Amino acid sequence: MLDTFEILTTSGVVLWSRTYAPVNPSVINNFISDVFIEEKGAVAGARNSQPAASNPLYKADQHTLKWTFVKELGVIFVAVYRSLLHLSWIDKLVDNLKTIFIDLYGDQLKKPNTTIVECRKFDEYFDQQYRELESSGSLNTARPAAIAFLSEENAIQDDTGDEPPLPPGLKHRGKAQNNSQERPSTAESTPNTSRPSTPSGNHLVVAKGGPMGKMSRRARKIKNNSAPVSSGDEAPARKTKKAPKKGRKWDADGFADEEDDSLQLDYSAVHNTLTSDSEIDVVARSTAGEGVDSSSWGTKTSKGQFVLKDLDDEVHSILESAEAKNASKTETKGGLVGSGLSTISSLFRNVVGGKTLTKEDLDKAMKGMEDHLLRKNVAREAAIRLCEGVEKELLGVKTGSFESIDARIAKAMEASLTKMLTPTSSLDLLREIDSVIKPPATSMRKPRPYVISIVGVNGVGKSTNLSKICYFLLQNKYKVLIAAGDTFRSGAVEQLKVHVRNLKELTEREGGRVEIFEKGYGGDAATVAKDAVREAANEGFDVVLIDTAGRRHNDQRLMSSLEKFAKFAQPDKILMVGEALVGTDSVAQARNFNSSFGPGRTLDGFIISKCDTVGDMVGTLVSIVHATNVPVLFVGVGQHYSDIRNFSVKWAVEKLLSNS
Amino acid sequence: MEVLKQFLEYLLTPSTEVFIIGALIIFLLPVIVHFYIVQTTPYTSLPSILLVGPPAAGKTSLLTLLERGDSAAATHTSQIPQSVELTVSDDHGATTFREAARIDAPGSHRKFLLVDTPGHGKLRNQHAMTHIASNTLRGIVYMVDAASLDDGLADAASFLYDVLLALQKRTGAGKTSKAPTAIHVLIAANKLDLFTALPASLVRSNLEAELGRIRQSRSKGLLDSGVGVDDIGSEEQDDWLGQYGSEKFSFGQMREFDIEVDVIGGSVLDGKVDKWWDWISDRI
Repeated sequence: MLDTFEILTTSGVVLWSRTYAPVNPSVINNFISDVFIEEKGAVAGARNSQPAASNPLYKADQHTLKWTFVKELGVIFVAVYRSLLHLSWIDKLVDNLKTIFIDLYGDQLKKPNTTIVECRKFDEYFDQQYRELESSGSLNTARPAAIAFLSEENAIQDDTGDEPPLPPGLKHRGKAQNNSQERPSTAESTPNTSRPSTPSGNHLVVAKGGPMGKMSRRARKIKNNSAPVSSGDEAPARKTKKAPKKGRKWDADGFADEEDDSLQLDYSAVHNTLTSDSEIDVVARSTAGEGVDSSSWGTKTSKGQFVLKDLDDEVHSILESAEAKNASKTETKGGLVGSGLSTISSLFRNVVGGKTLTKEDLDKAMKGMEDHLLRKNVAREAAIRLCEGVEKELLGVKTGSFESIDARIAKAMEASLTKMLTPTSSLDLLREIDSVIKPPATSMRKPRPYVISIVGVNGVGKSTNLSKICYFLLQNKYKVLIAAGDTFRSGAVEQLKVHVRNLKELTEREGGRVEIFEKGYGGDAATVAKDAVREAANEGFDVVLIDTAGRRHNDQRLMSSLEKFAKFAQPDKILMVGEALVGTDSVAQARNFNSSFGPGRTLDGFIISKCDTVGDMVGTLVSIVHATNVPVLFVGVGQHYSDIRNFSVKWAVEKLLSNS
Repeated sequence: MEVLKQFLEYLLTPSTEVFIIGALIIFLLPVIVHFYIVQTTPYTSLPSILLVGPPAAGKTSLLTLLERGDSAAATHTSQIPQSVELTVSDDHGATTFREAARIDAPGSHRKFLLVDTPGHGKLRNQHAMTHIASNTLRGIVYMVDAASLDDGLADAASFLYDVLLALQKRTGAGKTSKAPTAIHVLIAANKLDLFTALPASLVRSNLEAELGRIRQSRSKGLLDSGVGVDDIGSEEQDDWLGQYGSEKFSFGQMREFDIEVDVIGGSVLDGKVDKWWDWISDRI
């Protein structure tokens, strides 16, 4: 069953939790850093207030996490359970508890400068929901799958779908069966679809009592309340049905008696309303909904103590009122004067600040920001993701004093670019090399050479950047062996030899040592690399730099040899060289190279070459980090050996947002 | 239409009422706008103490412990900074944080904000540096996990290096000759309740040694992108922490920049944070 359920804030404080089986806290910590901070995965990112079902599952070794997030309050709801179990009601539980918690403690959460939220009483609400959903869930585990069938027949592989897709023959039958079972609840949610023309048939199915029949009405009500709007729509629809044709009666004199409408010819409607279980339910529910509005439940809460039944009612009324609120949210504010006043005040706030941002405000400005990013050579995909992220972040936010919308967006964009480009752990190459070639005495590791290999597409400057890194290492007095792994292109080996000769001359008095390891042309690059590492270990070199042949990222034949290469050479760092000049293609390049080293091995960093040739248009940096989540380590800024720089996030963000 | 015409005519004819109302509008509107803006901006001049450090050191736990007074809440990875209003006693009415956390604590109090920052590598620099730049800052508590310092030393030290360097630059960066208020640093060695934890003195020497190594390798490392040829060797790009050219780094060298660094051990889980609380009280 459920292992643990936690309610925590984005600042990291656990507000409330219930544990059934202890779960290592690192599971949730990893979940937070993966989903919210690093935004790994294609659909990751903190979507605001979505129901738990539409948030992707997060799986950690043996556990599955279901979660939902309320942005304006900064509260995350997480349910953790064993991956082996299929708990179809978890989504519902997470969503309901979110609604209840926000309703009860929302104003406490808004208080500034405190982390204390008094929510001990939430235990009772949790217990109630847990018991209710668990009992209804165990009776009818197939339900979510059935709903999935009905609502989106094409998307069979739903996350919650715990049934494997049925073979086609079965599928039809299964669907029909589900359909009929489902009818009492789903018929309401789709008032437009034809009501069953034969009410008796419908009635029959219900009476036969599938799993639905066994459920208490209350339990079913909970299941049903996913469609509160429809309950409102339902009533007029039925009225029109009743209205239609008056039976014309002839009285004794031969005149049509038009007053008598107490008698109806359309018996089916009455029959339907009174007998069909679902209809009664609808009526009951709509009256219950009215009861909520008259705040009858409010007095119950103020008493402060509940018998179980009251708690039930209260929970239901909270859930229903939340649904109703959702439904009425779309209503527009009427009144010419009102709209005029709001226009004036919004104009005023535009200048003075303190304006609450809405989607319309943001749309135009975001379009401008997107264009700006595109002009900076950011791939469209990355630009859209950034803008969507910023828009989500800003929706409902108040601007500061004398702050225009554009300024606010620029600020948010700067923050989100910084977050994206900042590496999770900073890299100090020299320290890392030191720790490998001179391991601390306590660590039991044997000293070995540090291996760096460089990959990339043709002509981006792999050999040039390799020799730049080599020059930097030589200045720090390391002994470097360069392996000529490009056994394919004519002149590649000779080119490296020239570099080595130059580097030798340049660093003679600094005390570095550099040699080249080559096996001529036509050999296997992976074997050459392996031999080079062995040779370096024997000869006492500190660092091995492996050059590779340039390859097109969409050529399977060439890319497949990289996996073998990674296995043979076991590089400590695989760096990919990317051009700042390249546009949208950078995303595909980075992705393909990142995934070509086999399972469990990815790129460790990027070198962006030719940054001096593009001026401010350094969007490639953003595109590749967006595509892979791999940090940029170095940028090439010129033609000389010394023209390589550490990547500075501040510099890149400044260039990206500059308006020239 | 006729009414409107008359009204406009009345408005545009010079008369006493029009002058008075016009003058009122002209003089009162700026006042009203002023009060409106003052009211909407929050009151922010409380002194503050910043909590920084590598992830999983116990920053948020300490924050909740100091706020609640009895025990720390369970915590997970933080994503946003969180500030909490705390009070210290002026006249030794409440000597411990446990008493100060109570609402009816005796004596007179001063309020301050304790600001917790996320420790995750992607977020920490951004948040820590914006807070260091603020002028209400009175002190920095740098939390380290003394129990896992062997593995996390490089990470803990490199972030500490960044923080100290930012403080050092701040001392020199003022436009006036008046030095900015001194910001002292407390290195809080947390989790001393665990068996593997190093004592405070060892934490201090380990960090000093590691900071020295980082200083060495950074001085030899590549320049940052964006540094032009003209800037090389200028004061601003000087990333040397402490006394220039010195062989070994020690926290004592930071005194030159008016930064006192103390290392004090404690444990959030056991509630042994009184020494940290005293340190914080001294800063406010």
